[in-house]
Amino acid sequence: MSTTSVPSSDVDIFADDVLTDPYPAYTALRESGAAVYLERYDCWALPRYDQVRAALGNHERFSSLDSVGYEPSLNELRRGGVLATDRPEHDTLRAALSESLAPRALTKLRADIDQRATELVESVVTRGSFDVVSDLARVFPLTVVADLIGLPPDARHEVLRFADAFFNTFGPLNERTKASLPVADRLLDTLISQMSRENLVPGGWGEALYRAADRGVIGEHQVGPLLRAYLVASMDTTINSIGSALWLFAEHPQAWAALRADRTLLRSAFEEVVRFESPVQVFFRRTTQPVEIDALTIPPGARVAMLFGSANRDPLKWPEPDTFDIGRAPMDHVGFGSGVHACAGQGLARVEAHAILSALLDRVEAIHLAGPPRRHLNNVIRGLESLPVTVTTSEPA
Amino acid sequence: MKVVVDRERCEGHGLCEAIAPAVFHLDDEGLVRIAAEIPAGETDAVLAAVRTCPVAALTRS
Repeated sequence: MSTTSVPSSDVDIFADDVLTDPYPAYTALRESGAAVYLERYDCWALPRYDQVRAALGNHERFSSLDSVGYEPSLNELRRGGVLATDRPEHDTLRAALSESLAPRALTKLRADIDQRATELVESVVTRGSFDVVSDLARVFPLTVVADLIGLPPDARHEVLRFADAFFNTFGPLNERTKASLPVADRLLDTLISQMSRENLVPGGWGEALYRAADRGVIGEHQVGPLLRAYLVASMDTTINSIGSALWLFAEHPQAWAALRADRTLLRSAFEEVVRFESPVQVFFRRTTQPVEIDALTIPPGARVAMLFGSANRDPLKWPEPDTFDIGRAPMDHVGFGSGVHACAGQGLARVEAHAILSALLDRVEAIHLAGPPRRHLNNVIRGLESLPVTVTTSEPA
Repeated sequence: MKVVVDRERCEGHGLCEAIAPAVFHLDDEGLVRIAAEIPAGETDAVLAAVRTCPVAALTRS
């Protein structure tokens, strides 16, 4: 039995004040060690970049099976889904999503998504002032993805409530999760029934999943979890990266001006947004065997928090990590995860975000805060509830 | 140094091309093509691209 002291912390990473501003807690955790025992949760946290990256790349030792969320009983809700399975089952599910989601499948959608972005942006900027979250960020991914899936119109209005509630259930059984459980439960049943074979618009991604089941590529029982994956994973993530982007550009007008002057920075700029304000702050894994990290041993069967948001601010990896720098090109951030479970929709997220930002760059000279931004608290998602802005516009090009 | 791509895994995210355009290129199908020769001076960029691939489709051999 080892008696060396193990880095530990009593921080509550799911408390309101930490969710509101997690960065001081992340700094303290990173300074405590490469792996830190979280006393309140009887689990381990990986707060530094190198270890998060390595753990994500080692899916045999860091399993996702029934362990992507914190709470074992709630992980059962996600059983059989693409996030919560290991290979080889995972690869079958992932391939079914990739068929529609891989960037090579998205190239033919880009022009349409760009056009929709231009129209939506035009409709809000002509008003002069608007709320980025409710008028833009929450509207765009919902309409784009719902159309791609072929979701019938009357099924759409509850999608965002469901996605938010579902993400809360990745946390511990705190008040947020308890309030979300009945919502997630009820809405999932409703949404899945609305996404029955006969309700889905033909030609969409949803119908494609049923056809994959017909061909025997996936099981009939896997269609539901994959439909859920499309819906949930494509909402709050993209919504919040668009919201955070506009907030950061309002706070850093010189970065907006630089981007307007040199559009080739757009790709780097969006990755910097995802690094700086990672929409998914944490997912979990479970060790399948003893894992040595920095001279200490995490026992088998331990829950391990992958602190993406902290890894993406690790000064051992990023020079001046708390500076928003659109020229940084932080392509290897872990905001979309990494390895076999890397975000399957990251290509679509980029297409959507680039489309919205490009349309705004065409029309908006400067973005000004018109009131204090309000945070939306979720156990694993970081983003805004409201971001009132006014914009100074230029004429359409 | 040689780099190989697992074409089953490659989804065409194109981050390698963004990091080391002299070596990686997405073809018309959106899959990565790797230059036969890695130019001198590109080694660091190539290693960064291998590390960065979001689906771990690139390996150094």
